[in-house]
Amino acid sequence: MKPAGMGSTLVLRLYMGLFFAYMFLPLGVMVAAGVNSYSPPSITVWQGFTFRWFAEFWADARMWSGLVNSLVIAVAVMALALPMGLSGALLLSQLGRRSAGIAYTVMVSPLLTPGIIIGISTVIFWRNLGATAGLFTAILAQSAFIASYAMLMFMARLQRQDHTLEEAALDLGATRARAFRRITLPFLKPTIVTAAVIAFLQSFENYNTTIFSIGGNHTLVTEIGARMRFGISPMINAIGILFILVTVICAVVWSLLRQRERKREAAA
Amino acid sequence: MTKLFRAFGVPLSTVILMFSSIWILGLIAAPQLIMIEQSLWRMERPEGAAEISVQIDGLYNQLDVMALDRSTAEAGTDATKRAADLAALDAKEAAINAEIAALEESESTPVKVYTLANFGQMGAAHLAIFAKTIAASLAVSAIALVVCYPIAYAVAKLETPRTAAVIMLALVIPYAINELLRIFAWQMILNQNGPANLLLGLVGLDPVPFLESGTGVFVAMVYAYILFMVFPLYNVLETLDGNQVEAARDLGASTWNIHRRVVIPHARPGIAVGCIMTFMLSAGSYAVPYIMTRGTAAPWFTQLIYNRFFEATNWNVGAAYALSLLAVCTVFIFGMMRLLKVSLKDIAK
Amino acid sequence: MTDQSTGKAIEFDRASVRFGQFQAVQPTDLRIEPGEFFSILGPSGCGKTTLLRLLSGFLDPTAGDVRIGGQSMVGIDPSIRPTALIFQNLALFPLMPIWENVAFGLEMRGWSRARRRDRAYELLATVALSDHAEKMPAQLSGGQKQRVAIARALAVEPSVLLLDEPLSALDLKLRQHMRAELKQIQARTGITFVYITHDQGEALTMSDRVAVMNRGRIMQVGSPDDIYDRPANAFVATFVGETNALAGKLASTAEGLALMETPLGGFRAANPKGLRAGDEAILFLRPEKLRLLAPGEATENHIPARVLRRDMEGAWSTLVVEAGGQELKLHLAHDGREAPPSGEIALGFSATEAMILPKGEMSDD
Ligand SMILES: Nc1ncnc2c1ncn2[C@@H]1O[C@H](COP(=O)(O)OP(=O)(O)OP(=O)(O)O)[C@@H](O)[C@H]1O
Ligand SMILES: [Mg+2]
Repeated sequence: MKPAGMGSTLVLRLYMGLFFAYMFLPLGVMVAAGVNSYSPPSITVWQGFTFRWFAEFWADARMWSGLVNSLVIAVAVMALALPMGLSGALLLSQLGRRSAGIAYTVMVSPLLTPGIIIGISTVIFWRNLGATAGLFTAILAQSAFIASYAMLMFMARLQRQDHTLEEAALDLGATRARAFRRITLPFLKPTIVTAAVIAFLQSFENYNTTIFSIGGNHTLVTEIGARMRFGISPMINAIGILFILVTVICAVVWSLLRQRERKREAAA
Repeated sequence: MTKLFRAFGVPLSTVILMFSSIWILGLIAAPQLIMIEQSLWRMERPEGAAEISVQIDGLYNQLDVMALDRSTAEAGTDATKRAADLAALDAKEAAINAEIAALEESESTPVKVYTLANFGQMGAAHLAIFAKTIAASLAVSAIALVVCYPIAYAVAKLETPRTAAVIMLALVIPYAINELLRIFAWQMILNQNGPANLLLGLVGLDPVPFLESGTGVFVAMVYAYILFMVFPLYNVLETLDGNQVEAARDLGASTWNIHRRVVIPHARPGIAVGCIMTFMLSAGSYAVPYIMTRGTAAPWFTQLIYNRFFEATNWNVGAAYALSLLAVCTVFIFGMMRLLKVSLKDIAK
Repeated sequence: MTDQSTGKAIEFDRASVRFGQFQAVQPTDLRIEPGEFFSILGPSGCGKTTLLRLLSGFLDPTAGDVRIGGQSMVGIDPSIRPTALIFQNLALFPLMPIWENVAFGLEMRGWSRARRRDRAYELLATVALSDHAEKMPAQLSGGQKQRVAIARALAVEPSVLLLDEPLSALDLKLRQHMRAELKQIQARTGITFVYITHDQGEALTMSDRVAVMNRGRIMQVGSPDDIYDRPANAFVATFVGETNALAGKLASTAEGLALMETPLGGFRAANPKGLRAGDEAILFLRPEKLRLLAPGEATENHIPARVLRRDMEGAWSTLVVEAGGQELKLHLAHDGREAPPSGEIALGFSATEAMILPKGEMSDD
């Protein structure tokens, strides 16, 4: 499509440039402070390049235990949220119009609820059953809303499924369970993989729900949050650099994979 | 339900129903209901506590009187009568003591009383914070919408697919970087000795206490949540048929009118999702105020909630506060859906 | 194929289907003989697929009964019915190679991998696809996919093969080839074929018998000749083949014939339904039965007309004429020598080659 005119294109380009500067400059500030010898983290006082803060992070036992907790929670959330989300999507596909509407509303509601409230309500609920807050409640609270993401992804995929394939399987003698395993599940596989990755990342990166539901325990991210408040050591910035590196790599790989898939689809 | 069993067979349907109900009932509905219940009661001194304490006082008086009786009895000369009197007194004293203990117990054991008083606990100060949180969150949504609309439109409709892909990647990266890191970057920038104040110093201005004044919270919030507006907008604008825009232009519509009559109506679901997400994330944000104020500025409403739970440990009031926040978010969601005439189905991606 | 699966009979006993308020299939009685090639022909949306789904088991009748081989099928799961279905869109499993597609039914019956692989290869050989066994469905052409679907259905050795417009996606050449192939498979296996189509040429050339359906009701069942030459009602007469329809009223009747008054004049024609004088009726006249009269030639039925245009169809041409304010069509043998007629002409037809039927719904195509 042709833009309206040269002048407005220029204005728009300028605007985009500013927007991206706004997006990336603060991150640049944080990265720079992570390799500055000066502590507390700063870029206004430059004391020379260093990797010291990475070493400090390496030696920090609380961060490591937080990382282990994060991984435990993320794996458990994956194991719980995926089957729940898939079950929800399959259930919706078979409910009548009215009951599907109600069930759908309940299933997406966690996405429209502030994360802290999901955390709090989980903790209250389990305290009433005599359980104290900890990794367990954090897993359940996170699963409640991560399953909603999974459900939406599965639902989108199921809507694109050709139902005659299942019928063909049944016609050829498959039981319902076998038709599901042999036809539907392989069809869903790409979505299962994507949903698993997203569930893992959502869980690993979560702060708001986790801080309200984890009780006296901590994850890597809640620990980072606690240290950030007083911004004492540039170790936080060093961790930030690592996060950014991983994110950039993931994003680039993801977009390359997507591009390739698009090409393959276009070719087929 | 029978349709489910017909479609998947009994064993599989059972598994599906089991997981669905764990999720819907166990992880979503029950916790919310229990939270609502928790907000609706508190422990109070039992009714009639005053009468009970009068009764207790009376019993203590009786004990005092008995002490006199006891000394009289001890002074008695008949050994057998003395022993009998003392035994009777002992028994009576034990009975009174037991009664006192029971009464004291019931006087001091609080009872569960259902009440709306937890919501009334919000004094003027907390109400002001509540109002400020809502107003600031609305402002974050509005700013995000105004800033992101041109970006999303440009990427979706004006750029070549290749450029658009690169720009989207450039947007995904900051979006995917952990919220805390993006907030922390602004904490550094707005710090007393940070680059923002350094720049102000260069033009001869006094340093501004961004963090201590609460400005920092707002600035970081816009930054942290603005990208939640770009993607929903982009997704709907991408589906807009470019021919519609050209047809409108061909029919003589100005740029403003094209957007007002063609583009924005098409983008309604995206606008709704973007506004709902930014509002909900802002109003429910704990990370931003926690990191950006260092406890120096007035708290955000989420911090009040946190304190009710984990510092004042008054869970009933905490639940009431949390419920108030949830209510505001719900009203906002339905308001947006009404205003933009979209349904929950449109909202899902 | 060496196995001689024998076809089974199919009976519909007052079977009907209702979706909410919509009656998709009216109460239907129908018997299909074992080993018969039976077609169901009808316009889009008339309920053909619905009728087929009653047989395959994806739908149970709202009322009535469906029997295969004398056994009631109501409530019997599709997976254990003696039927195999070839879907309108073929429904090949896109994530399985061709041979696994063909072997799927055997896999479900617990055959070992080696055995079912051998059997799949055998079946693929019979449809000339041995070389493609390891490919994925997306890599095959339309006709090849079609043959895979057939092999997959035959693998489970059904007594009844249900085909839902299996050739509609193919081009004309391939379609004609596949018709012959299907017919051959049917003859070889003796399986009962229930074949759905809205292509009348397909139905007439392949079938032992044809049912014509409209709005959920079977309008006529009969051999292809019956359907074409002796339509039972106005719908069948207009839906199958081309025809000219003249509305009017019966003036008198005599010995299987009747005299009918139409806006074009009075005509004598066959009266198979025994209509009586005064009845509203329609006279049907196939274009190939209408003759161009030589000047002065006399016949029992005579229509003065004016030529509008001539459409070349290849082996013949269609002459479109106007008579009494109505358009009529007739087929002219096309020998390429005579100059096409033009201007005012006279048409005629013999009374036994036209048919008077009661007024009723007609097909609009
Ligand atoms: N599950 C259903 N619910 C409601 N109506 C249905 C359902 N399935 C079919 N119908 C309706 O029943 C009628 C007959 O459908 P059917 O699929 O049998 O038509 P068909 O003769 O096979 O048409 P086509 O030649 O287009 O395939 C149609 O009007 C259709 O809309
Ligand atoms: Mg059909």
